Amino acid sequence: MPKNDHYVIIGNGPAGNLAADTLRDSDPDARITIVSNESMTYYYRHKLTEFIKGKAREEDLTVRPYSVYKDKNIRLRLGQQVDKIDPNKKIIYLKHMETVSYTKLIIATGASPRALPSVSNFSKCLNVLSTYSDALAQIPMINKNKTFLVLGGDIISFKFIRMLKDMGKEVTTLLYSEAFWPFSLEADMAQQVKKSLSDKGVTVISDDHIKSVKKSGEAFDIVTEKGLNQSFDSVYSFLGMIPNIRFILGSGIDTDRGILVDDHLKTNFDDVYAAGDCAQIYNPDMKSYWLSIGWNNAKIQGTLAAQNLLGAHKVINPAPQKILEVEGLKINTSWWESF
Amino acid sequence: MSDIDIVVEICGSAGEGTISAGEILSRFMSEEGYDIMSFDSYPAEIRGFGKCVAHSRISRTRVLTPGKYSDVLIALNDSHSISQLPVLKEQGVLIYDNKPPKYHDEDKSIAGWLEPGMIPYGIPLNELAIKAAGNARGRNMVALGAFAALFGISQDAFIQSVKRRYGKKKQVVIDNNVDSFVEGFNWTRDNVRKIDFHLFDSSPSDVKRDQLIINGNEAVARGALAAGLHLYAGYPITPATKIMEILSKELPKKGGVFLQTEDEISSIGHVMGAGFAGKRAMTGTSGPGFCLMSEFTGLSVMAEVPAVIVNSQRGGPSTGLPTKHEQSDLNIALFGGSGDSPRVVIAPTSVDQCYQAAVLALYIAEKYQTLVILLIDFFLSNSIKNLDPPPPPDPRYLNANIAPGKDELKDYKRYQITENGISPRTIPGTPGGMFFSTGLEHDERGKPVYDTKTHTLMTEKRFRKHREILKEIPEPRITGWEGQGDIGVVSWGSSAGAAEEAVILACEKGLKVGSFSSMVLSPFPANALVRFCDRFKTILVPEMNYSGQFANMIAPIVTRPVMRLNMVTGLPMASEDILKKIKEIK
Repeated sequence: MPKNDHYVIIGNGPAGNLAADTLRDSDPDARITIVSNESMTYYYRHKLTEFIKGKAREEDLTVRPYSVYKDKNIRLRLGQQVDKIDPNKKIIYLKHMETVSYTKLIIATGASPRALPSVSNFSKCLNVLSTYSDALAQIPMINKNKTFLVLGGDIISFKFIRMLKDMGKEVTTLLYSEAFWPFSLEADMAQQVKKSLSDKGVTVISDDHIKSVKKSGEAFDIVTEKGLNQSFDSVYSFLGMIPNIRFILGSGIDTDRGILVDDHLKTNFDDVYAAGDCAQIYNPDMKSYWLSIGWNNAKIQGTLAAQNLLGAHKVINPAPQKILEVEGLKINTSWWESF
Repeated sequence: MSDIDIVVEICGSAGEGTISAGEILSRFMSEEGYDIMSFDSYPAEIRGFGKCVAHSRISRTRVLTPGKYSDVLIALNDSHSISQLPVLKEQGVLIYDNKPPKYHDEDKSIAGWLEPGMIPYGIPLNELAIKAAGNARGRNMVALGAFAALFGISQDAFIQSVKRRYGKKKQVVIDNNVDSFVEGFNWTRDNVRKIDFHLFDSSPSDVKRDQLIINGNEAVARGALAAGLHLYAGYPITPATKIMEILSKELPKKGGVFLQTEDEISSIGHVMGAGFAGKRAMTGTSGPGFCLMSEFTGLSVMAEVPAVIVNSQRGGPSTGLPTKHEQSDLNIALFGGSGDSPRVVIAPTSVDQCYQAAVLALYIAEKYQTLVILLIDFFLSNSIKNLDPPPPPDPRYLNANIAPGKDELKDYKRYQITENGISPRTIPGTPGGMFFSTGLEHDERGKPVYDTKTHTLMTEKRFRKHREILKEIPEPRITGWEGQGDIGVVSWGSSAGAAEEAVILACEKGLKVGSFSSMVLSPFPANALVRFCDRFKTILVPEMNYSGQFANMIAPIVTRPVMRLNMVTGLPMASEDILKKIKEIK
């Protein structure tokens, strides 16, 4: 590789960081840039609920402090959103109106909260908790408010509900069967989840849908199709995640639910790779694509994408972890096949 | 009341309204009762392209320095502003244009250089300016609007201040500025979530509308006008030109004479001529121009002709660094000239002292019939401070010539040997008061004489004036630890503010440190310095030159070890640097 190669990684999660480390280890002289739309450096997202509760400090969230990037001569661009990509010109356009040229690109933008069509009419009234910035902004409100409605079903919602209960809040959850993510629960398992939540003092509503959400002063008036009419201080939505690929659309890079990559994690452009939750990976045996989730999968894929970008020909193993824990239930699932 | 003390930097390109935005902000804050100090930097080429920074410190307590680091950076030009990020403090606020009209090239956008600990607020400055006034010229006012909304400043009060500032301009100019400000204010109020902790008082109780907001050059010019300046002759040179600009307008209004001469030699020649004719006269220059004038400085001393030269120091030697700060002309001010040539050197330490120093300089020059060098510097020349309008000078400062009495005119000796060194001076045309005047050594009537006795007597007479001057100069300023202590900081000129601030901070940390500065450096109040130094184990002399010119000057006087802090960064001395040195010595 010539010394003036510029490797750009979009996303500063596990996939992005492992990719950067792999590139740096193999090419000490290359320019490496990570673009992140977060204001905080690489952190443990699953600890955000502990952070909100005040049980974890900012440094406890941090996986890698900023100084490490400097030491490794990796340029970390924080708080910067990619607007679009031109893979033919090999240019990234940032939302703050700056262009960045690359020679090779790895997209590792992860996933973000999904808004189901059934809630789109009142999505402005819904809070989501996905990032450190979300947590930071919402801590005062969460501390202040008493009653919460959680539209949920995804794996993160259960963790959030547990946090609220630990904080002594009154919680009602409306389970959306179509929102169970990253898998569909079998009926008996769903029943066990409901029972577990009820045992913790959570009011669980199922087989119902929100009809309207109206702001009334500081609170929100909720009406469901089955006639529930109640006011809550806050309404949260945890309806699953979708790959962060909006900025890719129209670029020429093939996408479906995620960024379509082959089993080497390469897109339809030779110099563009994708890894982690944003990638939709081809499985030659199944002749289909699968979406990946999870921290460890992202790390594996970030490393492999960087290796292949540097010239290796490694194939991703389409059999990541299948055991997930939901409300105390160990669930063996092959969710990606039916996603 | 808020105890806010913040430094705001506005950075842009020449012609983008950077400096005027800083001035508007400083003026408003001063009107609201805050103490302010501003210091602008701009390219050597003055107009056209290049980086400009309007730097303002705003505080509820007395401000002694502009501050080395900034709390807020307003970026009107991304590529220039990137180089100001290193001085933005941890948790510092960045206000920048997040929707410029076209894409920046890679690494040319300030948003691309954000680091943890910075608090960025992206505001569509360009878009809002166009929306407000149809063009982007008002970006600076949009940015001020954003600043005001973020930091709790009253929109109405600010608008009134802007209207006062632009009072004499066309209505469309006032409207465009106000509309741009309001656009920035409202957008920010409605769209930005504040996450920093800076807040000004929303209803300050100490509103001051009548304060002067002037820089050192303007203070010198005002002081000179108040002291009855009659002639100013000068040749433009950074950083002294502003004195000339002001006097070119104001001096003729008072019946005085303003001359822009062909060079600096001509300037000092005109000043000498006016002084000889009995008029108060002054010139202003910087190091390179002062070099050209130095031949005439000897004539002023020898012929005992009053003359005042303002030397605003800049980086040197030679043409050096026209728009950078330095204190490296002390040696030439004290010693530049042939022979034993006693000259008065007055080096004010602050903007308000610049006013007093100009009055004092013209007074001493006239009364003692000698050369006075008013030694300021780039920082003082450009440092903007709010201050109460100074009272008119004491009448004794206004008519100081000691003229001969009738009896003395019967046998008039222009250079009569006297106890205090001052000889009665006639104004040319005074009946019976004719005399010879020359640069050659002379007798009491002015006739050239070269004998040993005359030269000895005349040299002694010229030096005796300094003994008398010493009796009338202001007391040195002594602050900090009052008992026996560890470190005495002795400073001069504009570094004195930083020294005093460093001493305040050191004392707050329990260190036994004091500060000494004298506005007059020649003649120097050596006894006062000795008394001060006797109280401390070590003396520290911070100054913005490489060779330690002031330290060299006082070292023979002081019986304590003299440590030095010499810097040639082109920037004003910072209290942080002095404090660091104090801690090292301690």
